[in-house]
Formats: sequence, C-alpha cells, structure tokens
Amino acid sequence: MNDETFLNERVEVLASFGEGLNPCKPLCFRRASGREVSVSEIGLRHPSTKGMRTIHVFDVTDGGADYRLEFDTERLTWHLTREADHYD
Amino acid sequence: MIEYYNAERPLIMHIDLNSCFATVEQQARPMLRDRPVAIVNRRTESTSIVTASYEAKAFGVKVGMRVKDAKRLVPGLVTLESDPAKYRYVYHKMMSIMKRYSPHITMKSIDEGVIDFHVTTDIIRDRDLVDVGHEMKLRLRQEIGRAMRCNVGISTNRFLAKTAASLHKPDGLDIIDHTNLRQVLTGLKLTDLTGIAKHNEHRLNAVGIYTPIDFLDTDAHTLHTMVFKSILGEQWHQRLRGHEVDDVTHDLKTVGRQYVLEAKNLPHALILQRLHHLCESVGAKLRSQGKQARGVLVYAKTTERGYWHARHMCELPFFSNGAIYAQASMLFAGVPAGIYEIGISCYELNDGVDDQLSLFGDSLAREQQVTEVIDSINKRFGDRTIHAADTLGTGTHVKQKIPFGSTRYL
Repeated sequence: MNDETFLNERVEVLASFGEGLNPCKPLCFRRASGREVSVSEIGLRHPSTKGMRTIHVFDVTDGGADYRLEFDTERLTWHLTREADHYD
Repeated sequence: MIEYYNAERPLIMHIDLNSCFATVEQQARPMLRDRPVAIVNRRTESTSIVTASYEAKAFGVKVGMRVKDAKRLVPGLVTLESDPAKYRYVYHKMMSIMKRYSPHITMKSIDEGVIDFHVTTDIIRDRDLVDVGHEMKLRLRQEIGRAMRCNVGISTNRFLAKTAASLHKPDGLDIIDHTNLRQVLTGLKLTDLTGIAKHNEHRLNAVGIYTPIDFLDTDAHTLHTMVFKSILGEQWHQRLRGHEVDDVTHDLKTVGRQYVLEAKNLPHALILQRLHHLCESVGAKLRSQGKQARGVLVYAKTTERGYWHARHMCELPFFSNGAIYAQASMLFAGVPAGIYEIGISCYELNDGVDDQLSLFGDSLAREQQVTEVIDSINKRFGDRTIHAADTLGTGTHVKQKIPFGSTRYL
C-alpha cells in the first residue's frame, strides 16, 4: 500500500527568503537524530490551514527520499510530517 | 451541409490537467515521477482508484478499478491517499493563470476550465491562440512545477473545445474548426463525445446513428422527434456544428454527501453516528452557500436489496445540523439490514430570505445564532472543532474527500 511514514518531528531548517514566485526555499534541515538532509528539489509548496493559522507545506526531496516539511506562519516553527523512501 | 457549421474564429479554449491528482503527486514528490501511481480515497486494498498516472494507465490501470486488481496488473503500483488541500491549491493556481487571459473563465471541475476569448482585450484576442495555449502550458510548469502537463483544446464552442482537448493526451494542443470538423469526428466513437454514454448511444443506434459523422449529418427535426424527444435534439444539432449552447450556469439544486462504510455489518448505532457526521458536513456546505433547505433524502445501498431511500419535505425551511439530523435519523429508522453505503442530500433550496413573520420566530432566531457561532468557531479553529458528541470518533473514518463535479466548495 502506501510507503509513507507519518511523523510530527520538530526540525531545524535552513531556508532562503528571496524573490520570485516561490520566495521561501528550504535548503536543508536537521532531524531530531542529528542527521542533516539537503534539499535537492522542492516538488510543491502549498498553503494549508489549521483553524486560522496558515501552514505552508513543502514537499521536498534529497534525491533519495521524499519529505514533507510544514512551516507554521504564526509560531514560526518547522515540522517534518512525512517521509517516503521505499518504492521498490 | 457545410454552410451550417460555425465558421467564426475559434475563441473558446478548454484546459484539462492530465491525470490531475496523480500528476500533482508526481510533481510534489519527485521520487514518484515516471512510476505507476494511483490515487485512492481510502487506505484499503478493496477501495477504487480515483486517478491513475499515465505510467499506470499504460499497464491497463483504469479509474474505478479496485487497488487489488490494479496491483495484479502492476505489482509496483504506488497508491497514495488523496490530498484535497494540495489539489485545491493547484486548482486556484490554474484559475489565476487563466484569469490573466480573460475575465470570462468557467471552472468546470477541479481539473478543467474554459476560457472565453470573446470578451477579453483586443491585444490578447488578436494573438494566435495556439501560442497562448503553449504559453499557458509553460506558465503551468513555471508556476506550479515542471512535471505539470495539461491538454488544451480550442474551438468555437465549449463542447468542441473539450473534444479537442481530449484528442492527444497527455500534453496535447488541438484546434477544431469548420475546416477540420468532419475529419476529427471521423476518428471518434459516439461514446468519445462528452454527454454520450451508453444510454444515449443506444438511443442514437435505434435510429441508425452509429458514428459521430452519422450524428452530425442527422437533421435537427429527427434528433428532436426521434432521438432525444425534447429540445436537447436541437441543442445537439447546434453543438455538433460548433454553435454555443453550453454557456449556461446552473443553480444549486441539492447539497449532499455519501459515505461507503469502512466495514460491513456495522451496528446500527455506529451507522447512525456516521450519518450524523454526514448531516453536519451537509449542513456546513448548505450554509456556506447561504442556503436553506426544505427537503431531506437519505439513501442506503445494501448487499441484498440494492438501493433504498426515503425522503421528507417540511413546511418550513431549515439550516441547522440538528434539524437535518433529526429528519435524517427519523427517515433512517426504516433502513434495511446489510448496508455498505449511506448518503444524505438536502433539496428544495432557497436563499433563506423570508419576509413573513414566523410564529416560531424566537426559537428560529436562537437556532440561527447558535449555528452561526458554531460555524464561526469552526472556521477560526478548524473544521469540526465543535461537533455533535456522538460523532466524536467518526472523523478518522468519514474524511472530507475531493469534491468532484462542482467547484462551489473549492
């Protein structure tokens, strides 16, 4: 069935805020275990809500696995909420 | 006969995202690109596929097929649960791109829309629409992602533009006008035409119409009197010739929701809880459109007796979740055993403006105030922050899914 693992892991994210259609770009993040993941591509960024709070959802990859990062615009926190790395 | 074809310049463009939900997932998750992917609404092997990627379709996977059957065809099929928020975002992006070209756009569903270039600026209208179509494809890739693809169809009316958009999938761009209409229709079957499914095909076959060209060559009188037996005959006659008959908006007639039970033989009390959840969802949808209803219909599908339904029409309109559930649960008392699917819809809708004073004004005003407060809390803190106590555990089963068809709730 589905290969995804659902998480709610607080992560530290290094992101750039620039110009263009997608001004916020997560570049890499450090997981609770200390492992660092470099983002090689942002697949899609879409806004979502938790009540009135806007959450920006970033589906990203490091080339070996897909991850979902969520940025809470009110609390200014990042969470890793999904990981998918077993396709075969 | 060619003099009856609409010879004006084609100014209607139909845009259709290819295998929309699967493509969006492949865009979001780069590791899924070029892999067979299927989108489902539930994480079970017996659920039906909502959308399949082109890679999965190449193996024979079709929409509506059960996951376990699809996996026999493609053992490596990746199945993902639908993610409505993501698709809604892409829908709004697509709409914003379309609005740059004309104020007259119509979203037909979550993954397709129509641009009418008749009412846009001269600068845009005077451009070659083929160039505009390619530009839209480019913008879709630039603004959403490089895996996004869409089909573009251009013609003189909505029907032929949609037909054109379905000619070369994925990522096609085609024009149908009076010069190539017969040629295009020659390559199609009757059921390739939007609006012609099995039932209408039988009607057409009964009078000797077996191909779209036969259909095109049939006069309006025959279509009216012998095939459709209504004004639909004339409309088809016009539609096939490229004249616009589908630029109409339809009022909201019903608001409803259905749910396939997560297990067979659920106790009646648990089924009622799920019905209550549906009533709350339908009530919220009804009020989001500023409507009240007078009728409630509940239905159930059973393994032994097939389809069962019951309905009730009230004297006064209603709008609250409690009022909807009160009637639905009363109707549901007569439901047969062995249910596997339930549904509810409200009908006889009105705008809720009633100048006549009611004998029950105080209680109605109180009900309205309570409902408004609950709706505002749910809007602020998230759906179902406040809900009926007996639906406490139903949210894990009865989730909000993709709204197919209508774009009212997107």
